[in-house]
Order: sequence, then structure tokens, then C-alpha cells
Amino acid sequence: MHTTIWRHIRRDRQLLILLIPCIVFYALFRYGPIYGLVIAFKDYDLYTGILKSDWVGLAHFRRFFDGPDFWLLFKNTFLLGFFTLIFSFPFPIVFAVLLNEVRHTRFKKIVQTASYLPAFLSVVIVSSMVIDFLSPTHGLVNLALKSMGFERIYFLAAPEWFRTIYIASDIWQFMGYEAIIYLAAIAGIDPTLYEAARVDGAKRYHMMRYITVPSIMSTIFIMFILKSGNVFRIGFEKVLLLYNPTTYEVADVFSTFVYRKGLLEANYSYAAAVGLFEAIIALVMLLTANFLTKRAGGKGLW
Amino acid sequence: MVNNGTRRRWTLFDFALTLILGLLSMVLIYPVFYVFIVSFSDTASVARNSVFLWPKGFNFEAYRQIFETARIPRAYLNTVIYTGVGTGINLLMTAVAAYPLSRPGLFGRKFFVLAIVLTMFINGGIIPTYLVVQKLHLIDTIWAIVLPNAIWTFELLIIKSFYEAMSDAIRESAVVEGASEYRILFSLIMPLSKPALASIGLFYFMGHWNSYFLPMIYLNDANLYPLQVALREMLFFDVARQTGLTERASLAPEIIKNATIVISMIPVLVIYPFAQKYFAKGVMLGSEKG
Repeated sequence: MHTTIWRHIRRDRQLLILLIPCIVFYALFRYGPIYGLVIAFKDYDLYTGILKSDWVGLAHFRRFFDGPDFWLLFKNTFLLGFFTLIFSFPFPIVFAVLLNEVRHTRFKKIVQTASYLPAFLSVVIVSSMVIDFLSPTHGLVNLALKSMGFERIYFLAAPEWFRTIYIASDIWQFMGYEAIIYLAAIAGIDPTLYEAARVDGAKRYHMMRYITVPSIMSTIFIMFILKSGNVFRIGFEKVLLLYNPTTYEVADVFSTFVYRKGLLEANYSYAAAVGLFEAIIALVMLLTANFLTKRAGGKGLW
Repeated sequence: MVNNGTRRRWTLFDFALTLILGLLSMVLIYPVFYVFIVSFSDTASVARNSVFLWPKGFNFEAYRQIFETARIPRAYLNTVIYTGVGTGINLLMTAVAAYPLSRPGLFGRKFFVLAIVLTMFINGGIIPTYLVVQKLHLIDTIWAIVLPNAIWTFELLIIKSFYEAMSDAIRESAVVEGASEYRILFSLIMPLSKPALASIGLFYFMGHWNSYFLPMIYLNDANLYPLQVALREMLFFDVARQTGLTERASLAPEIIKNATIVISMIPVLVIYPFAQKYFAKGVMLGSEKG
């Protein structure tokens, strides 16, 4: 038994040597932090270290669930993710279907190239643009409101505007990029379907409605389920740049809370517990979504 | 494109379509354009809110000021270094690791692949990862930026399946000639994988160039800040001003901020029209991987 294992290792030794950096990387930076999650059940501090810190069981979780933060964070994270999914989902599809109808190849290419551009910008730059455009003193949006005789709005200080701002900038940034997958699906449609429809005298919007959209329905469906699995995985980096204490009541999500508690206030154990809880919900959502995709006849994630 | 079998008349439908998509493109581009024109305008015009379509009082003052201070050029240099070293390490680690994993008979292959794929779904999160980086004394070094994400699992799987799809015949002839696995990888497999590596390299490049969160938490020394973190500081100044937390200062910082954004976008804007082909391919590679 042992000798066969050694024989295999000897046989593959060059390949295994090539794999060493990869093993070290995953052990240190992926499995290391997973092991580090034990601090969620301990009272960790920097000086005693992970091993010597006292076990506290579920104390951090209990404190979190009993405290006022839990429901607020749960609600904010879910609603921000859910609304982002619902409102931004149709845009890339409509865009791809419309773009597919353009017959002038050059124009089509220009529009598509333009549509990718925002996806290449960093979240800091996008947030900066959002802040500038919405500025009460010199933002174009407020200047437009003023010229139409409306009061100026302090958008970034207004909780009721936060989600709209977050979602609208998301649509702006990723619509073109996410359309790629639908454009590929459209490219795979059998052209004879359109030919037949044309012979039968179908109009262009009829073809869009009755050929293009139904043909990519399975792609749309699978994308929707996959994305709903990620509802709890908020793009918190943008939240971190756009929120402030006046909007915490709608903008504070699990990850931003973890960041503040853990890294700004050095409450490592408590923050790790909150992070672990969030990761578990996110995982359950993802597994459910994957299960549903498979039930629906899709490939699923794995 | 799909349905242009014959030449047809320019209909109302085409007109409306062109109009809608044309306007849409402008909406998508305008914020980027606006950043440009503000950065070239003078303070008085920006203060009068008169800059919409073209720079007013065209000048390079903001750019001159940026390069007179040490802060932004240093941040720029830091970004270039982090991106260069980071992308290099990413590509090397990924291209090398994917090879043994792509060999069907490798000892323990199933175990390794499973352990790697699992990390896509289960991870320690922000805090435990931070503690590992801290424990390794990487805080305030370039390695804190580069090592904790040296391999992106998704890109590793893409390259692995790319290698798997390569014809075995290529490898066999080298084996017959007695070449070592190292030689096969570095002088045969990797050169043949240039298109796939370029595609994931682009994702890695963009990831480093645009990242702010990890540098922000792992670097305390302002001399080590990359551009995005320096930009973030300017942003916070803005937000504080607008939510009434501080008095409104002169407008110059805003012009300087936009000029900084412009110089930070330059490499991205230069690359992206060429790179979008690879980018699209990368997205498709990823989705086919499933």
C-alpha cells in the first residue's frame, strides 16, 4: 500500500514540485483564514493569539442576534441585493436584443465598445462620478433640478435615495458588460428561423418578441437563478465609498459592519462571527440557487 | 446581423433603434467625458457651473499641480509596481499550477481539485484573512497586496481546462524526446497558451489597477498608497463637504481630483478598445467552464 503511494509520488514528482507554490498559496491564504474562523467562538486578541484565547462558544453570535444591529443589517443586505437583482437584471437583456437588430455593423460595434467602457473603471472612480453628478452645489443633476424650478436634493445624505443611487450606478456600469453573454446566446440562434419568419411576413419587433427572446430564455433563466444565489454577496466596496453615518440606516450591510467592527474598532472575534454568519447565509442561497438551476434542467455551477 | 440576408429599406424601426442606442451610448460615455473636460477647465468656470460640453478656460494647471506634489506621482508609481509585480506573479502562479492539475493521472488530482474548488464557496472572510496577513508580517509591504490573491480560482480553472483541451500529441512527442515536465510546461505548453493567458492576464491587470479595498486595509503608510487609495481620500473630502460635515472649500480640489482620475484612467482607456476582444473571450471562457 505505502509502496504504491510512494511509487506514484516518485513517478509524478516533477508535476508535484510544480504544484507546490499552489498548495502553499491555498493552504496559507485560503485554508488558513478558514481555520482562523475559530476566533468567532473565542475571545481573540492580538497578544494571546488564536490558540491561547479563551473559548466563549456562541457568545458573539448571541450578542449579535440579540442586539439591534442584526435585523437592520439583514434587511439592508437583503433589500439592497434583491432590488439590485430585480431592477438591473432586464437592462443587459433589452440592450442585447436591441443591439442585435442594428444592421449597420460599424455603428453596432461602436455602441458595443462604448457600452463596455464603464465596466473598466474602478469603483473609486465610479463613486467619484456619482458624488460629483449628485453634488448639491455643482452636480449636474441638481443644476438640472434647479433649472426646472425644483428644490436641490442632498442625495448622498438622504437615506431614501441611497438604494436608487447604488442600483442606477450599477446598471450604468455593468449593462454593456453583462450583455456579452446574451449577445453570445443570440448569435447561436438558427438564422433559418428568421428567414422563415420573414417569408411569412413577420415584422422586426415580431421577430424580437417571438424568436430572439424565446430563444435566449434558457440563458436568461439560468442567469437569473445564478444571480439570485449571489443576492447576499453585495458589492460592499461601493457601499463603503458612498455611505456615511446619515445613510447607515439603509446602507449599512453585513460586510461594511464587519469592516468597521473588525478593522476599525479591532473587535476581531465579534466581526469574524458576523462575517461567518453572513457567509453561511450566502452559501445557503447559492446552494439553493444551484439546486433550482439543476432542477430546471440547467448545468448548474458544478 | 443575424437577419440581414437581403438589403432592405431603412425603416422607422431602424431610425428609432439608431436614435435610442445612440443616446444610450452618450449616456454611458458622458460621465467619463465630463471628468475630462472638468480636469482641463479653470477654477472660475467650474465654480460658475458652466462646464458641460467643452472645457472652459482650457489649461493644464491641475496636471501641473499634480506633478508638483510628491503624493500623486508616488501613488502612480506604486500602482504601476503593484500591478506589474502582481499581474506577473498571478500569471506565473496560475500558468504553472494549472499544468499538474490538468494531467489526468496526477497523484491526488481529485483531492487537489476539490480542495481548490471548495474555496470558491467557503472562505474565511475579511477578518481571518487580515489576521493571516498580519501574522505573516506582510502589513505595509507590497506582498500584502500581491500574495493573498496570487491565484484567482476561477482563472486557474479556466487555464486548467484550456490545457486539458490541448492535443496530447503535442506533449507526447516531447515526452518521447525525453523532455522533463518543466521543459514541456515552460517551452511548449505556456507559449501555446498565450491567447488564454493574455485573456486572464487582462482580468488580473484590471483587478490590480482598480483595487482599493485591500490596499486600504493592508497599507497604513501613506507613502505606499496606490492611486485608488489616494483618490479615495480626495473623495472622502468631497463627501464630507457635501453632507455639510465641513465647510465648502475652494473648488480646486475637485479639478485636481478629476485630473487624477484622468491620469489613472489612461492605461485602461488605451488598452480597452484592443483588450475588449480578450475581455469578451474571457467572459465566454468563464461561462463555458460553467
